[in-house]
Amino acid sequence: MSELDTGSELIKNVRVQETNLLATVHGEIDLHNSPDLRGQLLRLLDQTKPKKLILNLEGVPYMDSSAIAVLVETLQKIRKTGGVVCLTNLQPRVKGLLEIARLETIFIVAATEVDALAKK
Amino acid sequence: MGRQTSNDSPGALNLRAKSNTAEIAPIRRQIEAFVQGHGFDDRATGEIGLCVNEAIANIIRHAYRGKADQPIEVTASVVDDEFEVSLRDWGEGIQPGPLPEHKNDPMNPGGLGLICLGRMMDRVAFTPQNPGMLLEMSKKRFRPG
Repeated sequence: MSELDTGSELIKNVRVQETNLLATVHGEIDLHNSPDLRGQLLRLLDQTKPKKLILNLEGVPYMDSSAIAVLVETLQKIRKTGGVVCLTNLQPRVKGLLEIARLETIFIVAATEVDALAKK
Repeated sequence: MGRQTSNDSPGALNLRAKSNTAEIAPIRRQIEAFVQGHGFDDRATGEIGLCVNEAIANIIRHAYRGKADQPIEVTASVVDDEFEVSLRDWGEGIQPGPLPEHKNDPMNPGGLGLICLGRMMDRVAFTPQNPGMLLEMSKKRFRPG
């Protein structure tokens, strides 16, 4: 496994494990910082070209619809190369918004990173 | 950060802010603290906070087209177990049609903010002003049923 330094407070602990890219997202995300999240996620996909992106959202107590749009754009990008996105460790407020957006139908949602790695 | 005006009573909160995205979270947190202080539970508090967030984001994006120095006034109150909030802008937004209740295509996240307003608040009313828009939303402390 190799680690990448994003130099960012939003995305930390970025690890490449075979064809998987794991990253931990931190903080409340709204229209103020969602453009930064977008840029970093799309850059990471360009750099590492993973088959599976696993985003650990344990450190995200809150997100708004602009963050949802970033997640969907990330999924659209990785799907072009046959990849998938797994979301793990969802906090209650984030989980509620994901359900309204029906994202559980297009993302793989897992309880933990270990579970996400095991999912096909 | 949203500045609280001096004529607030314990049951009212008046905030004046600029259309800067950095103002969204501080205003949301002030609203959440306000409704929590009036006995709203965690779920209702979170829903109200998200709806205020989405409303301000819409004003910044659509009414003010990203300009960061335009005025937004937020007035909130709790009267008889009902939270009411109004958001006033002087921008160029248009009155949306009926609020959708469900997301048909999750791969197209546009309009999610309005869906949240329609699902999480009891009443949502957009009233065009000259210029700008007045958005009024309300939510009862305990929903029947």
